[in-house]
Amino acid sequence: MLNIGSFKTKTCSGIGRRSFLQMSGAIPFGLGMSGLGMVTADEVDHVVAKAKSIVFVFLWGAPSHLDTCDPKPNSNSDYRGPFGVIPTRTPGVHFTELLPKLAQRSDKYTLIRSHIQSAPGHPDGGTVALSGFEENPKPVKPNFGSIIARHRGFRGKLPPFFSIANGVVMDGGRRIEAYGGGEMGAVYDPFMVGASETGKVNIPALALMDDVNPLRITDRRQLLQQLDSVPRTLEKSKFRDWNRTYQQAYGLITDPTARQAFDLTQESVKTRQRYGQSVFGQSALLARRLVEAEVPYIQLNYSRHVEAITPGYEFGWDTHLYNFSLLQDQHCPIFDRAFSAFLDDIYARGLIDDTLIVCMGEFGRTPKINVRAARDHWPQCYFSMWAGAGLQTGRVIGESDKNGEHPITRPITPLMVGTTIAELAGVDSQARAEMRVLDGGRVINELL
Amino acid sequence: MNCFKALLLLLLCTSLPAVEPVKLTDDGRMKFTPVFVDGDTRLTFVDFENPKVFRLKSMDWKTREVKVVHEAAPAPEFDPAYSIDGNYFSFLRTTGGLQVSLVIRNRKSNEEVVIAPEPGFSGYRTPAIAPDSSQMLFSFANNFGQDIFRIDMKGEGRTALTGTKGINIWPSYSPDGKKIVFTSTRDGNYELYEMKPDGSEIKRLTDSPYQDIRGQYSPDGKQIAFVSHRDGNAEIYLCNADGTSVRRVTNHEERDDYPTWHPDGNHLVYVAERDGSHDLYLLPLKD
Repeated sequence: MLNIGSFKTKTCSGIGRRSFLQMSGAIPFGLGMSGLGMVTADEVDHVVAKAKSIVFVFLWGAPSHLDTCDPKPNSNSDYRGPFGVIPTRTPGVHFTELLPKLAQRSDKYTLIRSHIQSAPGHPDGGTVALSGFEENPKPVKPNFGSIIARHRGFRGKLPPFFSIANGVVMDGGRRIEAYGGGEMGAVYDPFMVGASETGKVNIPALALMDDVNPLRITDRRQLLQQLDSVPRTLEKSKFRDWNRTYQQAYGLITDPTARQAFDLTQESVKTRQRYGQSVFGQSALLARRLVEAEVPYIQLNYSRHVEAITPGYEFGWDTHLYNFSLLQDQHCPIFDRAFSAFLDDIYARGLIDDTLIVCMGEFGRTPKINVRAARDHWPQCYFSMWAGAGLQTGRVIGESDKNGEHPITRPITPLMVGTTIAELAGVDSQARAEMRVLDGGRVINELL
Repeated sequence: MNCFKALLLLLLCTSLPAVEPVKLTDDGRMKFTPVFVDGDTRLTFVDFENPKVFRLKSMDWKTREVKVVHEAAPAPEFDPAYSIDGNYFSFLRTTGGLQVSLVIRNRKSNEEVVIAPEPGFSGYRTPAIAPDSSQMLFSFANNFGQDIFRIDMKGEGRTALTGTKGINIWPSYSPDGKKIVFTSTRDGNYELYEMKPDGSEIKRLTDSPYQDIRGQYSPDGKQIAFVSHRDGNAEIYLCNADGTSVRRVTNHEERDDYPTWHPDGNHLVYVAERDGSHDLYLLPLKD
């Protein structure tokens, strides 16, 4: 385990596939597009690929859309929740009072309020959200990041696909099948890194290399000797993956400039404070440094281990119990601060034109408050935020119905999300066809 | 004259403390729900020790030394409550996947009553013990609402007080035990209400389009400290016990939350977010 840096301050139910497809096809384009800031769908002839880096902020666990970015203050008490609403910078658009910083920055991103997807549970919903396809039939389709990684190749000093979390994101011990390369192979799995709330960066791939301290290694031969001593008893296929991971890890620890990307102590105290003393906050700062290091795809995971009601479970935003108190006590303050700081930095450092930022969960939460005065899974309607790579900002795309139960405009699916990301990253339809990925996907025309 | 009146009104409405708050902790981790124990001997609070665990911690009020309350606690514990006479300690303990039990401990005998949640995702919140230690309250969600219940100190005689209308949470007894202040969404968003200990005579105390939460009676029962977002973010306010004369006592662009009264009635302890870190602060209310 490589630890770098420290904080300087003193401091389930859902929708079936059949009804999903019926709903996707039944809603006409542009229906219900009323209000300021709304845009309608037009066909896009040509997408200019501008995204050198993509940051996919994955709000694992699925945040409530009603309690965050799509409040319904005029719904009855069975739906609306206890929070007041506040105006955003986008005329006519409101958030709940839990996201004041992001409300003040709504001119820096575009909000989509009409997402749907087909899988109602976390691991399967996570697979759809990250790959565009259900986990069955096998083989599992690759993560969007794996597609970008394969297209860009292993060119730089750093791996092309990072996942920032303290381990593979799971739910009750079961991982998301599309966390990595899937049918393309483990060679396109993400390179895992994690950050603590105090800004220590962990690189689990180095954990196998006992006694290797990358900050002290100056002799390449010395390192190679240590690597050679690693047990070679792994079975062949696993050894290949292990070897790839080692090559990347080796590159990291032998190249000082590559290592710097992980050293959050190089940031000013003030900058680190702006992100907040939280796992997600410091992870977001690490994501920004990876963008500066020109990593093609970074999946910034809200979980794992962000809340401690039940240790060992990867609930994240999965608030079946205590939804409202968890949102106001922990999740929204942490997210509002960290993601706002991240957006500010990406803009202030002139990175926004070359960086695509997408922020979303795997689905939404039940608009109707459940028997435990909380909210369950709801893949029928949820939200996302998009910024950068030349996209217009300060807009709202799509609209949900009066209780936030269904889109009343064209539904946006995870496959459309992945296809749009790929287009903006230069993986055009021909490239996708050659790789046999994102088959049938269409771009989100309204965004472009 | 009008300008003078407006200025006077502004000064009266804001009523900020003249003395700066004193920082009590320095680790910056998230913290919740501080409560005084045995007068002002100790201050117990919840420490988000690492992203995997909440822990109850207790600060010696004189030395500021902080200790873990339950070293061997196998799972997160939170929402501490003590009786004024010091005889009882109640808190919540995670016992499974989104399963949270209510623990009532007799501090003299160390006997514990553990009230298990219902099957599935289920748990209690925000216990409060009556001043005479005869009964206690907690919030529990079922039947599409979150109600405040009363039980005796053996965990028996469960009685719903708030009628399962909306979310009812954060109950707190007045020092004489004759009233309970709590937060409810029965009229829309979170507002403060009062009721008698039998759940009768529910009366609304605050009215704001933003949340008013976590009401706590002052030691003399004349004031209520609470948290409101009415001015743009979480700040601490005081009002008279009948809800009148609302005035803000903190004012910062970051969060001020979880107020609790020092037993002297002249100070509040609360959690403040400053520069992205969370610590306990002591706020004098008088010069």
